[in-house]
Amino acid sequence: MRLGVRLWGRLGGAALSLVMVAVLGFFLFRVVPGDPVVSMTRGRPTTAAMQAELRTQFGLDRPLHEQFWNYLTSLLRGDLGTSFTFRRPVSEVILERLGPTLLLVGTSTVIAVGLGLWLGVRAAWRRDSAFDRAATGVSLTLWAVPTFWLGMLLMMATGDLFPSRGMRDTDTAPDFVSQALDVGHHLVLPSLTLVAVVCAEYMLVMRSSLLEEMHAPYLTTARAKGLRDDLVRRRHAVPNAVLPAITLVFLRFGLVVAGAITTETVFSWPGLGLLFYDALTGPDYFLLQGLLVVTAGAVVVMNLLAELLYGVLDPRVKVV
Amino acid sequence: MRVKLCALLAIAMTLGMATPSATAQGPVILKVAIVQQIDSMNPFLAVFQSSTEINRLMYDYLTAYAADDQRVTEGLANRWEPSPDKLTWTFTVPEGKKWSDGQLVTAHDVAFTYNLMLNDEVARTANGSFVTNFASVAAPDDRTVVIRTKAPQVTMLALDIPIVPRHVWEKVPSIKDYANDRMPVVGSGPFVLTDHVAGQFIKLKANKNYWRGPAKYDELHFVYFQNSDAAVQALTKGEIDLVNRMAPAQFDSLGDKPGVTRNKAQGRRFVELLINPGAQTRTGEPIGDGHAALKDVRVRRALAQAIDLDALVQRVSLGYAEKGAGLVPPVFGKWHWQPGEQELRKFDPAAANAALDAAGHPRKADGTRFGLRLVGRAGRAYDEQASEYLKRQLGDIGIPLDVRLVSDNQLNEATTVATYDLAFSGWATNVDPDFVLGLHTCAQRPGADGKGGTSDAYFCDATYDQLYARQLSEFDEGKRVEIVKQMQARFYDQVPAVVLAYENALEAYRSDRFARFTTQPAQGGVIMAQNGMWGYYGAEPAGRAAPPSSRGPALAIGGLVLLALVVVGVVVARRRKATAGERE
Amino acid sequence: MSGFLTRGTGRGGKTGFLAHRAGVAGAAVLAVAALVAVIAPLLIPADALDVTRVTAAPWQSPGADHWLGTDHTGRSVALLVAQGAGTSLFVGLTAAVLAVGIGTLVGIVSGHFGGLLAGALLRVTDFFLVLPALVLAIALSTVLPRGLGTIVLAIGLTSWPSTARMVRAQTLTIEARPFVERARALGGGHGHVIGRHVLPSVVPLVLVNATLAVASAIVAESTLAFLGLGDPTRISWGAMLHQAQLHGAVPQRAWWFLLPPGVAIVVVVLAFTLVGRALEAVVTPKR
Repeated sequence: MRLGVRLWGRLGGAALSLVMVAVLGFFLFRVVPGDPVVSMTRGRPTTAAMQAELRTQFGLDRPLHEQFWNYLTSLLRGDLGTSFTFRRPVSEVILERLGPTLLLVGTSTVIAVGLGLWLGVRAAWRRDSAFDRAATGVSLTLWAVPTFWLGMLLMMATGDLFPSRGMRDTDTAPDFVSQALDVGHHLVLPSLTLVAVVCAEYMLVMRSSLLEEMHAPYLTTARAKGLRDDLVRRRHAVPNAVLPAITLVFLRFGLVVAGAITTETVFSWPGLGLLFYDALTGPDYFLLQGLLVVTAGAVVVMNLLAELLYGVLDPRVKVV
Repeated sequence: MRVKLCALLAIAMTLGMATPSATAQGPVILKVAIVQQIDSMNPFLAVFQSSTEINRLMYDYLTAYAADDQRVTEGLANRWEPSPDKLTWTFTVPEGKKWSDGQLVTAHDVAFTYNLMLNDEVARTANGSFVTNFASVAAPDDRTVVIRTKAPQVTMLALDIPIVPRHVWEKVPSIKDYANDRMPVVGSGPFVLTDHVAGQFIKLKANKNYWRGPAKYDELHFVYFQNSDAAVQALTKGEIDLVNRMAPAQFDSLGDKPGVTRNKAQGRRFVELLINPGAQTRTGEPIGDGHAALKDVRVRRALAQAIDLDALVQRVSLGYAEKGAGLVPPVFGKWHWQPGEQELRKFDPAAANAALDAAGHPRKADGTRFGLRLVGRAGRAYDEQASEYLKRQLGDIGIPLDVRLVSDNQLNEATTVATYDLAFSGWATNVDPDFVLGLHTCAQRPGADGKGGTSDAYFCDATYDQLYARQLSEFDEGKRVEIVKQMQARFYDQVPAVVLAYENALEAYRSDRFARFTTQPAQGGVIMAQNGMWGYYGAEPAGRAAPPSSRGPALAIGGLVLLALVVVGVVVARRRKATAGERE
Repeated sequence: MSGFLTRGTGRGGKTGFLAHRAGVAGAAVLAVAALVAVIAPLLIPADALDVTRVTAAPWQSPGADHWLGTDHTGRSVALLVAQGAGTSLFVGLTAAVLAVGIGTLVGIVSGHFGGLLAGALLRVTDFFLVLPALVLAIALSTVLPRGLGTIVLAIGLTSWPSTARMVRAQTLTIEARPFVERARALGGGHGHVIGRHVLPSVVPLVLVNATLAVASAIVAESTLAFLGLGDPTRISWGAMLHQAQLHGAVPQRAWWFLLPPGVAIVVVVLAFTLVGRALEAVVTPKR
């Protein structure tokens, strides 16, 4: 019963957040001065009538409250307006770029989570060992590294080893294996960049999570039973410590989003992050607004999932 | 789990080493870097320079500009004739030209395209300005197009409108929603659009039906780059074959690269410094908040005199530019104007100081006269650097600058509502100077609501406007050139803006893969961003010699790295298994 | 302060901040960086950083004249890095102070007063906590006019929620203690309780938080500058990297233009992080 109430509370909170995201998205980009139509047509023979026509096409000639109402009702239908740059629905443009981003972020997150958690466990279990110091030191350093700079360095250092941009070459054979290999080849540097930065965060989280767990009395009991050290770690400590760490992974999803923007910009990876950067030059306000709503919305939903998951998996947690 | 993943990746990679990455007998492809986004492939909607350039490859215009000297030459029409009163123009579309799907090109296609624009407001989005003076367009037979204009118009041979096939476009229900992406896209140009993935690439194939004969290679790919830096890097690696719009430093960096040839061309752009001359709307109401002192032409001349154009060319453009003068760049030879000895304003801070004293702006106790705001675009290398020089040079004559570098949108806002004193601007000019000259007429100022203007200089001068009207109906080219030069002299004298420089177009290509490109004009011309498609159409492959493929060894190294990862992974997994067995 | 320095347990049973060697090293690095930031503008002649007055050739690799080479305009990279320290540290510190200030205020108010106001504040905090801060900061700096103030505002306004959360938790803990209840029973008003009991117990935590916030603010500044949203008229480490990218340092293989500003960021951010972690270990009681 109480669980149900809390669940609804969480859902309501997330829904409220989504509404706030939508409102923020509108006012942040619509109240700014500047006539986007002028930017669009700059440098070309344009008549006043042509400008007025564009303004009507984008609904910019209506009063603000009407624009807001239109925006909200369209949003409910999944319509995010029309991009100035692409002359197409923002939702369509965003959907088109979703695949590459999911590929990059997915690959990097899987590797980063695996590697980060493993390093974290090792480091925590042998606290203050040379391994711990090295791993913690490297992680803290990587955490301090601006993502884009790391990408630029990797690009300069690897020289001709990897392609400098994009997701695939245009002249690769059309069969699946060649295409997959080509994409894999292009994926190496951007995912390495993203892994390096995100992995550091996960390693530190896992390490501190396990360190807290290690003070728990049941581990002492387990050791007293005569269980081998390795077994205590694997069977008892890690499963309990992994849980909060994994939920934290979900909670830090915003970090990955931020990393993706700069990584995709450096490597011209044709995903949402690059779209975000492209939308900045202009700027294409409708597109930016759509991207803000979509990314922030995704993060809100991820958080909700993380919290629900946390509650389901760990009965000790009363937050849910 | 992780081990498995690594293994999969590595197996895929080692497989990659086994499969030959570059097939020997593949098609010959020209790969070109583009930095700007494509807004639309629909030629009625496409506004960006990148999109119009690709449209030029897909569709012919009624007339074209020759590669060697940019004179008007055959497009879809090969003959044209104005009536004695210059109000009716008759164009002849010769027999034998075909669309890429094999259908014949007729005068009806031309009439359909123009009439679509006359009847549908949306179809005028991109090129509407060319047809505003049209009264009617008709095709009495398959070969003849008759255009009636409301007033005589000299620019009838400079109609930059892509002609679309009627048999495809008459089935389009709504121009606004038509993305023109039914591949392959039927056109009449030298290339046919076959694939387009937004933000990644655009693929075109040589049009075998092209009436000038097919191009000398098979495919033309445009590869999207997020900045020219990445594009230049890809060129040095041999990933692409042609790059343009390079920064001077990037151009210099390619000087000693084997297999790369650079092309320093005269550009058709100029950069200018706007000086707010007391902006007014079309109805004469003051608009914006420009500094009052700038209304005085003596002050504007003094500012112009204090700017060292040579230093800007040398230090900001690293010599890759020509000193600015008139509104038409030197690449359009006959229209270009240079000030004579009498008119020339030499860089002379002392004279500028004296002029400002005389104009009633003496230096105050702190050595300054009055401060001005300078608006430029953040992220545009020229603005960021040139503003430093202007700050110093105008500071030297007692005018401290408050430099504001802002986003594109904010810059446009500042210039359209005239909330600037000084601002950077610039325009690309066409073969016919009408557009750039027309920009600076009184009629181009915004309406009372601050909207609808296309000028950003707020120039309004009776003498200039009279000359503009005269050149527009002067059908004797020699006389028209004279008037156009007089207009530029007037603009120079009244200084609503200082033309700072004509920047060179800096391009480079892989000469180990493509031996030659057709430039426009022949001497010192550009390959990309032409008034035509000659650069791409005329490219000649450097034989079927092995292309510089660094991808083979690269893939091998990548594979090796991952193979090493797998070995480590397997070893760890086995060790774990072993200990597990021991335990159980 | 000396008590603070020696209290707490460090590695190997030693006590106090001074026992955390990494933290001490970090503090030393920061002292040097601060010194450079203050001294550089005084010592570097204005002409050396004015692109209109430099005489050296652009893109020189490191050598005797310029031991970190020159940039695309011929300015010395070493001098630029020194000059940039001021801007980067200034933005980092002010943005952190702004963020932590807002966070502390919101945290104490929502923790102390409760009721509808607290509920609303908590809701807003949670909202901003989940939003990707960088995305929001980018959005803000796009719509506001370019400048140092905008950067500070964009970072400050988007990175306060974690502080608010933590301060609120601490406030609730303290106010549940018997001595606070006693103070309240004796007639202590809101001001008394907050000023005498809540604030003192919150300050050490806030200090830790502020140190870590500076670290992320400096990284955020460099990212915004790299994306072209910084103040282009000022030299900062992020702005240098933006210039390096804009003018083609990677194809030029001009590592001397790319490496120093990045290393400077990493070193300073790492130093702030180490100091923050050491402080954290000192102020939070071990279980």
